[in-house]
Amino acid sequence: MPPLTITVGVLALQGGVVEHIALLNRASANYPSVTFHFLEVRTPEQLSLCDALIIPGGESTTMAIVARRLGLLEPLREFVKINNKPVWGTCAGLVMLAEEASATKQGGQELIGGLDVRVLRNKFGTQVQSFVADLNLDFLGEGEGPFRGVFIRAPVVEEVIDGDGRVKVLGTVKKPGEEEDIVAVRQGNVFGTSFHPELTGDVRVHAWWLGNVVEALGQGGEGKGLVVGKGKGDAGKVY
Amino acid sequence: MATNLTNGISSISDDFTVKAGLAQMLKGGVIMDVTNVEQARIAEEAGAVAVMALERIPSDIRKVGGVARMSNPEMIKEIQAAVTIPVMAKARIGHIVECQILEALGIDYVDESEVLTPADDQYHVQKTDFKVPFVCGCRNLGEALRRIKEGAAFIRTKGEAGTGDVVEAVKHIRTVNAEIAKAKAALASEGELGIAKLAREIGADPILLKQTAELGRLPVVNFAAGGVATPADAALMMQLGCDGVFVGSGIFKDALDAEHATKRARAIVKAVANWTDKKALIEASIEHGTAMKGISNAGLKEDEKLAGRGW
Repeated sequence: MPPLTITVGVLALQGGVVEHIALLNRASANYPSVTFHFLEVRTPEQLSLCDALIIPGGESTTMAIVARRLGLLEPLREFVKINNKPVWGTCAGLVMLAEEASATKQGGQELIGGLDVRVLRNKFGTQVQSFVADLNLDFLGEGEGPFRGVFIRAPVVEEVIDGDGRVKVLGTVKKPGEEEDIVAVRQGNVFGTSFHPELTGDVRVHAWWLGNVVEALGQGGEGKGLVVGKGKGDAGKVY
Repeated sequence: MATNLTNGISSISDDFTVKAGLAQMLKGGVIMDVTNVEQARIAEEAGAVAVMALERIPSDIRKVGGVARMSNPEMIKEIQAAVTIPVMAKARIGHIVECQILEALGIDYVDESEVLTPADDQYHVQKTDFKVPFVCGCRNLGEALRRIKEGAAFIRTKGEAGTGDVVEAVKHIRTVNAEIAKAKAALASEGELGIAKLAREIGADPILLKQTAELGRLPVVNFAAGGVATPADAALMMQLGCDGVFVGSGIFKDALDAEHATKRARAIVKAVANWTDKKALIEASIEHGTAMKGISNAGLKEDEKLAGRGW
């Protein structure tokens, strides 16, 4: 079997780009048989080189406006919804990947879509209400400890609007005195999180997602299961 | 350039991760000074990542003179209600109560700013005492690290606000860059002792200085501010290593009308998003049109300069 080469883009219109690339680099150590390229994406040409994409945290209004002006919105929609390539959005990226959003600016904002959910922007309030919480993310595997979720002016999934059960809820958070909120969802090739794994030193979510990317591209090479490890030096385990 | 700021630095607290994290999410963006709801809406529609609510833009603060203070909370609340992007506001250097008021208003970032008249000639605000994060100006690495030691989670150059003359902002980022290079060299050649010696010279905390030397950059996000007036100015500051740009008077000063201000705002956003793309910079410069007239920094008397406030 020829060695697998995968190009993963990080949409670099604005926001936390290098943080994702740093963790992707660490997570890639879990897949020694795969050659990864990590690419900052600012143009349709760069997007066309990508097998998978991360849409980082930032300001979703700014990203939508800049993406529109650079002629990237339609290519992004095609990438996510027609070509069905693996995509992960964190925070503002989750907003961009939702089919609907509430609490948007006057006149609304453009979205890429792909997740049949409605997100609520800035659910918890202003920056003073931003917080860190331990999350139980079962998809990371049995026996894994909690994940430190960093929520910054974070959106949540207010409602799953797909009636066919294609949207899987993968994580929730409950602040004291508040209802439980959905903060991680997946629908086929599209994954979204309200929180910022890229602001932690914890590589597990990046490693899990890269495992999905490797599998989606049809040549796992590491056996049937997804390989998850805790970064360089860890053997990783199959589940 | 795989600078990773806080990611991977496990020693910092959750509190600081959240404060510095918002600044990380603003990278590659433009933060615009606005004085009313109309200007805030123009900024948001143009693609600003945040707005800075203040009574007067810096060029008018210069012109009007007198004591410049925190803005009226009523105006700040109106702006908060009008936009969904983060709203920042300025407090006077050392004015703990202005900071408390801004925190209680739910401001997303407080700028402890030399553009306002300082309230304390001895101390900056102890920013670790607050839940709201702070951005502060600097002219050099020592000043940047003193502010971070006090709890600032975001740094900007001081430049010379309200002039439309970028020369001081360039001087400040070049000074910071040169001193970071010096810290790296000191760490490489003389280790901890070299860092300790340099830390004494520049008046910085040695632990933060060592961290800076190891990262090869400031340990928090660093924006340009103070005199950025055109798309080319903004791209210049990005090429010199800034993570984003504050534009004060440059959007609304001497703008012909709201449409012209909108074009200027959009043009600067475009320049910061495409700071190496010469074609985009030509388009942005055309769209921007005439810039604010400005005041040459060289023509300012020492007591007219704002950057010397704070230490």
